[in-house]
Amino acid sequence: MTDALVLEDVRKSYGNREAVHGISLTVHEGEIFGLIGHNGAGKTTTLRMISTLLEITSGSISVYGHDVAKEPEAVREIISYLPEDAGAYKDMTGRAYLEFIARFFASGKEKDEMVAKGIALADLGERIDSKVDTYSKGMMRRLLIARAIMPSPKLAIMDEVTSGLDVINAYEIREIIRDIAKSGVTVVMSSHNMFEVDMLCDRVGLIDQGNLVLLGTPAELKEQFGVDTLEEVFVKAVKGA
Amino acid sequence: MSDITNVIRKELKELLTPGSVISVLIMVVLFAGLGGLIGGEVEKAQALPVFGIANGEYGDITLEDGSEWSAADYLTRLYSGVPEDEIGDYIKIIDIEGVTDFYELMTSNGINSLVIIDRSFSENVLYNLYTASSVTDLKPVVIQEYYLYEPSGMFGSISSSTVSAVVSGMSSDLSGFLIKSCIAPEKVYQFLANPITHGGDDLHTIVNGEPHPGVTPQDIASQISSQTMMIPMIIMIIIMMVGSIVISSMGSEKENKTLETLLTLPIKRTSIVSGKIIAAAIVGLVYGLAYMAGMSIYMNAMMGPTSSGIDLEALGLGLDMMDWALIALSMFLAIICALGICMILGAFAKNYKSAQTMTMPLSILAMVPMFVIMFSGWYGSGTVIQAVTFAIPFSHPMMAMQSLMYGDYMLVFSGIAYMAIFALVMILITVKLYNSDILITGLGQNKTVQKLTGRK
Repeated sequence: MTDALVLEDVRKSYGNREAVHGISLTVHEGEIFGLIGHNGAGKTTTLRMISTLLEITSGSISVYGHDVAKEPEAVREIISYLPEDAGAYKDMTGRAYLEFIARFFASGKEKDEMVAKGIALADLGERIDSKVDTYSKGMMRRLLIARAIMPSPKLAIMDEVTSGLDVINAYEIREIIRDIAKSGVTVVMSSHNMFEVDMLCDRVGLIDQGNLVLLGTPAELKEQFGVDTLEEVFVKAVKGA
Repeated sequence: MSDITNVIRKELKELLTPGSVISVLIMVVLFAGLGGLIGGEVEKAQALPVFGIANGEYGDITLEDGSEWSAADYLTRLYSGVPEDEIGDYIKIIDIEGVTDFYELMTSNGINSLVIIDRSFSENVLYNLYTASSVTDLKPVVIQEYYLYEPSGMFGSISSSTVSAVVSGMSSDLSGFLIKSCIAPEKVYQFLANPITHGGDDLHTIVNGEPHPGVTPQDIASQISSQTMMIPMIIMIIIMMVGSIVISSMGSEKENKTLETLLTLPIKRTSIVSGKIIAAAIVGLVYGLAYMAGMSIYMNAMMGPTSSGIDLEALGLGLDMMDWALIALSMFLAIICALGICMILGAFAKNYKSAQTMTMPLSILAMVPMFVIMFSGWYGSGTVIQAVTFAIPFSHPMMAMQSLMYGDYMLVFSGIAYMAIFALVMILITVKLYNSDILITGLGQNKTVQKLTGRK
């Protein structure tokens, strides 16, 4: 099995404060990997380091064999990062936004095909030609997921992907994530929704105060703690109950 | 389409919205309209004055030798360009017999200047000529002036001063008539009136080593100033405008979290930085040209009445194509410097609102050289002020036109070289910032800032 993402003793300091204390983990190709942890645990910082947004203080991260610190441009060619609460350019229509992004990856017919794929993924109907600032949160999220998936990345990194969405929108987005994983895309996602992580993720890593304290499949973790839900695993692991 | 073109296209679409274009067009129309309004006022003020003259018959003088002079003749000569049947539109003969309310008299006759020839005008002239025994025995020959004050703006006083000049002219004309008639023949009168010949082609000003007749240094300075006065103001407006555009764009990208997406796309950070800078520079130039057009109309109307009409080309102070190219280059580099500073300031903006306040340092930097150059000028400033002015990159296009007119190429070239280095340093710092955490985490997470503020 190919290693899509390898983190080795990754540390991140903000000034004198260390936010991530030596995380090591491996994510395999085609896997949906969930990062869980309470607010401020270090999930977003870790995802941002993988996405080349933040410098790594020490340790190393490699994406499909490319070192994030040494070859950030090569890494950006094969990843898609969807930040929490991300937005799109408000003066653009959904279609124009997808075209803008597609032009960084392809040109001509290939670009047109990519945009068509994005439009299909967003599934916004006629509203794809409406200005982005008229979109509901669910519509915006669908557009951004489409943007992230449209260029066929090898690794999709999604931070709190269904946060704040209603049941239907959250369900549909989970379906999209499941589908893209089936097509071979590796997904690393963070979420506070333990139900979602349990349903979607092949493996889960729990980060607490910058440390990776648990790693395994949802079933393994539940068995380890002798509980029925991932939520209980989370509470027991963090609070030590 | 290259990545940089893609970024430029996106930025231009965001910046050139119908709202922003309309607001600039409105500004241009306002400037032009204001110019037209001022031009109209100036024309009105410069036109032949309309005034009332009272008791005209008292201005008729007949000397013992039979020669005659009259105030009415003088005025007819003064208004010789006006058809005879229209003179009445300008000079209104008014009867003031028994009038005590001059305000009522003037408003009812539609005039704001009234010249009253005293009842004893001609009588006193003749008494002074033929009867007065000594200087102390001379009787006053009086012309009274009444003006109606109207708060009509900056050119409101011109018409009253023109009427006053008409009265002074009348005094000189009467003086000439009396000298010619009573004391001396024409040739002696001419000599007595102007014994020393000066000015005209006997006056020379040496410009760049070449003497030029009939021009004073004041004429040249006033003409150069009239042509270059608007440049610092326009440069300041452009700098502040492009600065605001870039900083707001950065603030907006952060607020909408589109920057994080942009930074993880397969595009070089230099392309993002260059794309944003080039798009803002294009918008800045378009807006700048629009402002320049509006401002030109405004300034032409403003400078019209005071312009000396000197041909600077003939004095070797004109600008050739090479000079204009240098001015354009200087302006372009100043815009790039401003954008570089703004990209750095914008990197620290948390959102759109905080971005707005960050334009303040740039505005100050743009205003300082504007005031220095407009009020004391580069050549009239001391060494310290010159050093400060030189260090601010926006000063150079502000003073380039004047420097080129004076042939000071050294100052222009050194300014261009300085701005090129400054812009390069700004862009390098910006790219460095785009490759660092600061853009995402802000200054609060920076080690040095934490040390300075004592925060963790």
